Amino acid sequence: MTDTVTLPGRFEDLAPLVATWARPTENARSKIRWSAGPEDFSDFYEVMLPRLPEILDYLATVPLEGMDEADTNLFCLAAAFAEAAPHHELYGGSADVPFSFSARRFVPGHGDVPSWETGRN
Amino acid sequence: MNDLSGTTPRKGSEAFSHLGRSVEAIRAELGIEPVPVEAIRDPAVYELEREKIFRRTWLKVATDWEIPEKGDYKVKELQVADTSVLIVRGKDGVVRAFHNVCTHRGNKVVPNSDFETFGKARANVVSCRFHGWVFSTDGPLRSVPMEEAFGKLDKACLGLREIACETWEGFIFINLADPPEQSLADFLGDFGKLFAGYPYAEATSAFRYSTVLECNWKVALYAFSEGYHVPTIHAGSLPGFSGVEHSDFKLIGPHASSTIYGLGMEAASSTAVFASRLVANDHHGPRPDLLPPGINPTGRQDFQFELPNIFPNFLIHLAAGCGYPGIAFFTHQFWPLDHGRTLWEGINYFRPARNAAERVAQMHTNALHRNAWLEDTATMEDTYQGIRAGVIDEMQLMDQEFLIRHAARNFDAHLAG
Repeated sequence: MTDTVTLPGRFEDLAPLVATWARPTENARSKIRWSAGPEDFSDFYEVMLPRLPEILDYLATVPLEGMDEADTNLFCLAAAFAEAAPHHELYGGSADVPFSFSARRFVPGHGDVPSWETGRN
Repeated sequence: MNDLSGTTPRKGSEAFSHLGRSVEAIRAELGIEPVPVEAIRDPAVYELEREKIFRRTWLKVATDWEIPEKGDYKVKELQVADTSVLIVRGKDGVVRAFHNVCTHRGNKVVPNSDFETFGKARANVVSCRFHGWVFSTDGPLRSVPMEEAFGKLDKACLGLREIACETWEGFIFINLADPPEQSLADFLGDFGKLFAGYPYAEATSAFRYSTVLECNWKVALYAFSEGYHVPTIHAGSLPGFSGVEHSDFKLIGPHASSTIYGLGMEAASSTAVFASRLVANDHHGPRPDLLPPGINPTGRQDFQFELPNIFPNFLIHLAAGCGYPGIAFFTHQFWPLDHGRTLWEGINYFRPARNAAERVAQMHTNALHRNAWLEDTATMEDTYQGIRAGVIDEMQLMDQEFLIRHAARNFDAHLAG
């Protein structure tokens, strides 16, 4: 699987995480997050946090429109981490926000729109 | 806590007589007695609300930037008024609202799949899918298939049924009364002036969420109308959020406003990295200079956001990037579906990301805020169940719950009128 994932050169080692976490839409990423356990979040976090400044430095040079496949993969991985990190940092590894309403009942209007498209607002 | 003495209010704020009122003065106006919950519990009150509030009041239904081009439309279901509303930008660029009802036999002209649906009218017409009646986007009935077979048909009287529609600061409001008792500007009054001037239309990048809550709409409205809950409900998503102060209450006719100050939370490690992409520049970062002068009139550094209650069901939390990283403002709206069911809509508005890093940073902020909303909404169905249990007849309200007290009082006044 990882053989088929392309990433910008210096991020190629993150390919296994792309296969697991990176999806283009919020709904698809939420499904993955909801089935993740504390170790999944922890493993993701331990790899990604140290790389995050470098990833964002790179993505700051990438326009949202017209991203190639490698940039899109990195963007989707960073997006997944943006949404998953609080589960490790704040929620004790829980896939749910503790003491909260069911996230499955929250409907994102943009849920099936690729996250690089800002779409109708 | 509303005291402005000894400070130098920002230029322009002197125009607002609602500022700087003491807690004592607001207590004296609104009282300190418990507030009955019967208006939440009683289905008969809901029927009155439909008639005397939702069918007669200006209601925000869209924004200018949702339908920016000629022919763009939004269909908004308004169960509370038993209608579906078509908001459309005509070929003259003017936004109008119509009942989404074909004048032939009543079918929806524009079908919709959800509580709100967006689309674009081709050639500036909409046509009913039932029998093909065609209406211009400015209302008139343009053509009818087999018109001669009707014998007599006065097309001039069979245009779409128009609804009063006016815009304030890019927010599009309708009023189902025909005609409305007052203009939108008169309805908003000093509130419209207090919140005017912020470049809302520049924050066109939105993350919108909705859910159907099994509770009366006022339970949801009230839960989002106070800051008293922050240290408890948000202990998970906003750990260490310190010095929360909900103050600067302004009572402005049927509307009210207030301010959330606070030192903010100690950011988690990832948040610090993501937020650095948003807070360190003028495009997404804190812009207290853009706040209208009556908001944070003394220029406090710990300003987080302004929290108004716009009668009857709309909140604009104006932050100008000072609160959650990068958020210009966020809104809540509470639409009754029936007495015990509510459609909640929450939208985070950012200025458009200029690159992929800013976009993922916005997504992190959005996720944190969405998760805080999940904590907020956790209380609402439980609260409604508790009120329906019939064992409490009153809400005990403290000073940070002034907006609830004010709203309840206004609802009562409208139902009595």
